[in-house]
Amino acid sequence: MKWKYFKEGFSEGKELFSNKISIIINFLLLTIVYFTGVFLTSIFAKISKKKFLDLMPQKEASTYWEDLNLDKKEEKYYFKQF
Amino acid sequence: MYILGISCFYHDSAAALIKDGVLVSAAQEERFTRKKHDTSFPINAINYCLQKEGITSNDLDHVGFYEKPFLKFERILHQHIETFPKSYKVFISNMPSWFNEKLRIIKIIKKKLKYKGNVRFIEHHMAHSASSFLPSPFKKAAILSVDGVGEWTTTAYGIGENNSIKLFKEIKFPSSIGLLYSAITAYLGFSVNNSEYKVMGLSPYGNMDKNKNEYYKKLMSIIDLKDDGSYRFDMSYFTYHYKNRMPSKKLCALLNGDIRRKESEITQRHQDIAAAVQLVTEEIMTKMLKHVHKVTKCDNLVLAGGVALNSVYNGKILKNTGFKKIWIQPDPGDGGTCIGAAMYIYNVILNNQRNFVLDNAYLGPEYTDSQIKNFLDENKIKYEEFNSDKKIVQKSAKLIYDNNVIGLFQKGMEWGPRALGARSILSNPCNPKMQEILNLKVKHREKFRPFAPVICVEDANKYFECDSSIPEPTDFMLMVYPIKEKYHKLIPAVTHVDGSGRLQTIRRNQNQLYYDLIKEFGKLSKIPILINTSFNIRGEPIVCTPFDAYKCMMGTGIDYLVMGRYIIKRADNSQDFWDSEKYAKD
Repeated sequence: MKWKYFKEGFSEGKELFSNKISIIINFLLLTIVYFTGVFLTSIFAKISKKKFLDLMPQKEASTYWEDLNLDKKEEKYYFKQF
Repeated sequence: MYILGISCFYHDSAAALIKDGVLVSAAQEERFTRKKHDTSFPINAINYCLQKEGITSNDLDHVGFYEKPFLKFERILHQHIETFPKSYKVFISNMPSWFNEKLRIIKIIKKKLKYKGNVRFIEHHMAHSASSFLPSPFKKAAILSVDGVGEWTTTAYGIGENNSIKLFKEIKFPSSIGLLYSAITAYLGFSVNNSEYKVMGLSPYGNMDKNKNEYYKKLMSIIDLKDDGSYRFDMSYFTYHYKNRMPSKKLCALLNGDIRRKESEITQRHQDIAAAVQLVTEEIMTKMLKHVHKVTKCDNLVLAGGVALNSVYNGKILKNTGFKKIWIQPDPGDGGTCIGAAMYIYNVILNNQRNFVLDNAYLGPEYTDSQIKNFLDENKIKYEEFNSDKKIVQKSAKLIYDNNVIGLFQKGMEWGPRALGARSILSNPCNPKMQEILNLKVKHREKFRPFAPVICVEDANKYFECDSSIPEPTDFMLMVYPIKEKYHKLIPAVTHVDGSGRLQTIRRNQNQLYYDLIKEFGKLSKIPILINTSFNIRGEPIVCTPFDAYKCMMGTGIDYLVMGRYIIKRADNSQDFWDSEKYAKD
């Protein structure tokens, strides 16, 4: 019985430990990605004056409706996630 | 042919199953896991759908998902690039779920369902539009889909005809009426993607006069609204594109104060702000709908997206926009898109003619009398058995008339966020203290929130100032109408502060016992109206199983539970005997 409890406790502890480790690794990797990939793209975008989001109204615009033209497409289109 | 639709990983995960174009089952995952607005993969809802038809995943011909995850991910990346470095915290907290779940949806579906076929991905607003148009009674209708955000789109309109849908125009993130409403919901101290309806309920306490409500003018000053209903926000007042906290400091300054703390006092200023956001929403929606009506030249309208849950505005649409008929499905929010994904595959992609109209919401789990009896006997619960519906109706009506609060558990669980007589708490609307009693005994909810009335459809025009032909969405409690003034004092418990009521109309072919119960109560009280509120306590999902219903009754002050053909009296059963902890894993 004691061996069974030890095994259960050990496996729970192992899972908890691996979860904590994955949180730390995720944090480190994502921080690197953010301050390299996102930072560099953001810098290039700012230099080239590329806007990814429309953050301010354009008073001179007559409408904010944009063309969508979403209609039935070829079958293979629906198997894609994009 | 079986097609499964799935929506998950944002909020309100759900699944729906259609058989040869007919919707046979649909349910939200939260009802099974008992976790409100559960976002997880809806394995329980899917299992229910499959089990109801007696099939396995091998029998599924197609599976549809409610959005295109990579497009959504693209938008998320664009947000981070645009707002670098302010988005760092959100990037760190949200990215793991993208890599572990959202971008691996095909693997997850195949693994969890042991499904070997392909998965089809339908754009978010197309899934919304399909979920509202394809099961509607209209051959042709204008479609307007408005929610927080899908992949990029926050608002889209188009037209549906027979089994085709075309969406012409869109408004893109970050400008979004849904997110504006959510930002103000957060500002007022309520939870986002959950409590927007509380803001709607609070709004009549504020100043609904556009000329006198200063916050309406302030909110309009940060929105550029064009005559065609298109709009764009000044995003310096919002933070939702880079933070989990929605209102910015600038918005707080604009609204003369900081974010309200949860459970703190609601002041007149808060009420005026709630009124202001409701007025802004109504103004944008009205302009937009007038434009859609003009462009589509169609008198029928289907509304989709979370904003279509704004029942206060829905009740004003036909009077103000030129549309003559309206239809909204019982769950127009994200949960409802699983129906759209499945029906879009059947009707549009596979080019099958439409053969289904969604005329009732009882699509969830249903329990037979023998299953209920087994549950009661196994748990030694005392009950009274009735051998006919007529007798149970008479007894229940008398109990309600005597000011008892009853839980009604009949038929299949409702699809959508509203309880519609299958998992409802019913009580007497003529008792001026009933709102207080319900709050004290069961619901423990904010005092400003009204309770809803239910009435048989043919009686509705007598008591309410409805549209001349009562629209079907009223059956799903999606329209608010004024109560005729002479009845305000007769049904005080369901009359909101502005004299309105979020009524549910019921037709006998939808739910015979429920309909007869309202009529029977009408014979006793001379008022054929009941209070209908959802069978749950604050913070929990609506009950699903007999276990949930009994547990809810024993844990609250509900006096009787009318379950199948059995009536259970709370006072007859010892609360000590029902150890909810012991049964928690059932």
